Amino acid sequence: MSCHSHPQANQSWKQSTHYDNKSGVIVHCVECHLPPKGKGHLLAKIKHGAKDVYGKIFKDAGNINWEKRSRLEYAKKYTYREGCLKCHQNLFPNALSTDGDDAHLYYTQHHEELRCLNCHLFVGHYNKAAIHASNIEFGKVEEISSEVFTESARVERFENFIEKIPGTTVSFEMNAIPDGSFNIGSLDSESFRNPGEGPVKTVKISKFWMGKTEISWNEYLAFFNATSSEGRKEFSKQMNNADVDAITGPTPPWGAPDQGWGKTTGPAITMSHYAAETFCKWLSMVTGKTYRLPTEAEWEYACRAGTQGPYFFEGDPRDFSKNTFINKLFGPDTTTINSYVIYSINSNGKTNLPSEVKPNPFGLLNMLGNVSEFCQDWYSPDTYVSYNEATIMDPRGPADGLEHVIRGGSFKNDAADVRCATRDFTKTKKWLITDPQIPKSIWWYSDCAHVGFRVVCEYYISEKK
Amino acid sequence: MENNKNCYGRRKFLETAVFSGAVGALGVGAIISSCGRKKSNEELGLPPMLDHAPDGRKLKAGLIGTGHRGTGAAFNFFGAGPNLEVTALADVFQERINTCRERCKKFGIEIPEENCFVGFDSYKKLLETDVDVVILATPPHFRPEHFKAAIRNKKHVFMEKPVAVDPVGIRSILSTAKRAESLGLCVITGTQRRHQQDYIETYKQIANGAIGEIVAAKAYWNQSHVWLRTREKDWSDMEYMLRNWNNFIWLSGDHILETHVHNIDVINWFTGKYPSSAIGYGGRHRRVTGDQYDFFSIDFDYGNGLSSHSMCRQIDSCADGVGEVVVGTKGYSICTHNANKIYNFNGSVMWEYEYPKSDDDPLKQEANSAYIQEHIHLVTAIRANQYVNEAEQTALSTLTAIMGREAAYTGKRITWDEIMNSDQRLGPTEYKMGPVNMEFEFPVPGTPINV
Repeated sequence: MSCHSHPQANQSWKQSTHYDNKSGVIVHCVECHLPPKGKGHLLAKIKHGAKDVYGKIFKDAGNINWEKRSRLEYAKKYTYREGCLKCHQNLFPNALSTDGDDAHLYYTQHHEELRCLNCHLFVGHYNKAAIHASNIEFGKVEEISSEVFTESARVERFENFIEKIPGTTVSFEMNAIPDGSFNIGSLDSESFRNPGEGPVKTVKISKFWMGKTEISWNEYLAFFNATSSEGRKEFSKQMNNADVDAITGPTPPWGAPDQGWGKTTGPAITMSHYAAETFCKWLSMVTGKTYRLPTEAEWEYACRAGTQGPYFFEGDPRDFSKNTFINKLFGPDTTTINSYVIYSINSNGKTNLPSEVKPNPFGLLNMLGNVSEFCQDWYSPDTYVSYNEATIMDPRGPADGLEHVIRGGSFKNDAADVRCATRDFTKTKKWLITDPQIPKSIWWYSDCAHVGFRVVCEYYISEKK
Repeated sequence: MENNKNCYGRRKFLETAVFSGAVGALGVGAIISSCGRKKSNEELGLPPMLDHAPDGRKLKAGLIGTGHRGTGAAFNFFGAGPNLEVTALADVFQERINTCRERCKKFGIEIPEENCFVGFDSYKKLLETDVDVVILATPPHFRPEHFKAAIRNKKHVFMEKPVAVDPVGIRSILSTAKRAESLGLCVITGTQRRHQQDYIETYKQIANGAIGEIVAAKAYWNQSHVWLRTREKDWSDMEYMLRNWNNFIWLSGDHILETHVHNIDVINWFTGKYPSSAIGYGGRHRRVTGDQYDFFSIDFDYGNGLSSHSMCRQIDSCADGVGEVVVGTKGYSICTHNANKIYNFNGSVMWEYEYPKSDDDPLKQEANSAYIQEHIHLVTAIRANQYVNEAEQTALSTLTAIMGREAAYTGKRITWDEIMNSDQRLGPTEYKMGPVNMEFEFPVPGTPINV
């Protein structure tokens, strides 16, 4: 322990299976945190040693965010596959279950893409929120004495309203987004701009309502509890069901989809794009309105809310990003962006509650940052190129594709990647890499905790009259 | 047997084969040598090929599946060397046990009544006895479960080919194979060409460069119709299918697995590769029971221009033949029953295997039987501590055959990744004598023409 002082890490280690186990064997720090001798041991020792000396002198161990450090992307840097395999030489011991056999066979066939840690993250430092099993208890809501809504919100005028999910105590705010036109994309001159963000085109958008916040666990669990299915197959389930109006929802997830960050008003995460779309179908069914994911154009229109800069507030990405030479030296200016966006600098490496930020001019929270958001469009780098008319109305992106658009950046991103025009897309294969099931889940991403969604409600009052 | 589309899931296979991992062929790697030095049998992974297994501690074997092949395998084990016994039997049918027991008795093997177990879970009871080795010879559908149980109970295994009928079963075999390895348990499979002297000698020729680089291959098993049983009126669905198992896909895997896997395995062995995809045809013209095809023609693509034409047919009065052709840059080999030759491109014989003459020692002839060699190899491996495990190679050759079968059934190009990651599982989930809720329409590829 001599040189390394980190009481938090010591305690979680002593409670882990690498200290507290049936056989009484204790696995010491360096057996995991340095590679075995002859496999880069010395080099790693020097590297980590130098870092620790620096930390000892310039940093306070009490201020280190251990929770963030224990997440996979960090843990991978401080542990070594060779260290695991030096002791765990037999991946198919007789005591291993058949499910374990399947998972380890999958590992042996994909060992270039996978680390032991992908599935066994908390074996060295105990985390009581970690679950290494199918989480069949997931989403159970305790009895609450507050009012259970019997019907959804009645909307008479085009204005903000509070939607109520019938049969639950869950409600959420929908903001009226007026129709208008705007310029989609970013100019070449914008700092950190990526090629797919242009050419800038003028787009007209019809009025609609949009969720004030990203869909929270409260709403998502209402859906989960109403529809969750034990079977794996969406269509076979639906076909066997006599009630044609029924929607089959997610299977129980593996592990803890909320990552132990809480399941209340924070954004719901790790659901697949398909699951988010099914949520919208279900919400439409129970409220009698038409809910769906926003189109990419609707999303950017609502995000910009009449502004045209890199953000919906004042400022240049070059000042906010930590990835410029000057900012690396002196630290970025974070005063403005901090109050609007949950991003890598202020997020503590996880999702935050919506109350932490100020809204955009349309009253929407967390359009930039916190979690990236699914759009209904297929992704193409040439989307705006294909907007060939001078001004087009309510574009819906390419007719088909392989991955869907996600927008808005997340708690993981630098300021450069939480601009209004930043585009990104789902990465289905990568986000399911540790899912050992065959076929892989259509409902939950095993390896993506930074994407959620918000809903839009289509404007329908005029049609009714 | 009602009309209910929940058992044989061809459509399901295609729907779900979306996610493909970077599995690729887990091949042993081509071992063709271009340098002058001849490779030894050990370097080439060839079996010891002894006259009999060495003596040692008594080994007791239990037989699971006491039909003709099972009973034959029990005799082969018994005849593989000194101090070997067969001590327990398990089968779903009592009269199969009785027949096997009587045949064993004539052969000098007495099996006590209390070691004979009947029923679908009889294998579990057999595994609780003190046998060292189990012989798995039931219809292929049951193999993965039996293999898993045998290894978990720390038994050495001889198992018949094919080793599974679907990808779920193959993955079970693959993980159990790794467990067997970790426990030091030996596994021999019934792809007996790998224990046949003529094939071994031909392989050595090819591995040492006799035909140059392999550029094409052909494998074939064309024969008359195979045995079948028609239904008797007191038989339930399950009993009928088990007694006629060679004609039902969920039990046998279809004949491209059940018999032709031998030839497919030879091509995988000789080329040192597994194919990356398959396209093929098949159909059902003359079969009278069950739901299988009676012919297949598959193109297996091994990559880099190498492909193997695989055909198998079970129809009477057609051109028959069983064998493998491997074409190289310098010549080609043809292996058939009792004729293994290598030819120059002008048709002259470059090399041929000399079979033992009939006046040779009959005992030696007996030892040359590949069926016995498999067991000599198993017992030698156990007693001389020369570890052997053929489960993975036979699982991957069986998977090759499954890929070909699905290519024919669906009409689609099926890739190795798709088949390795498919969730296809054939057959009922519960085994009991009685009615079986399955549909037995035979597979038809493609879509109908709308007129």
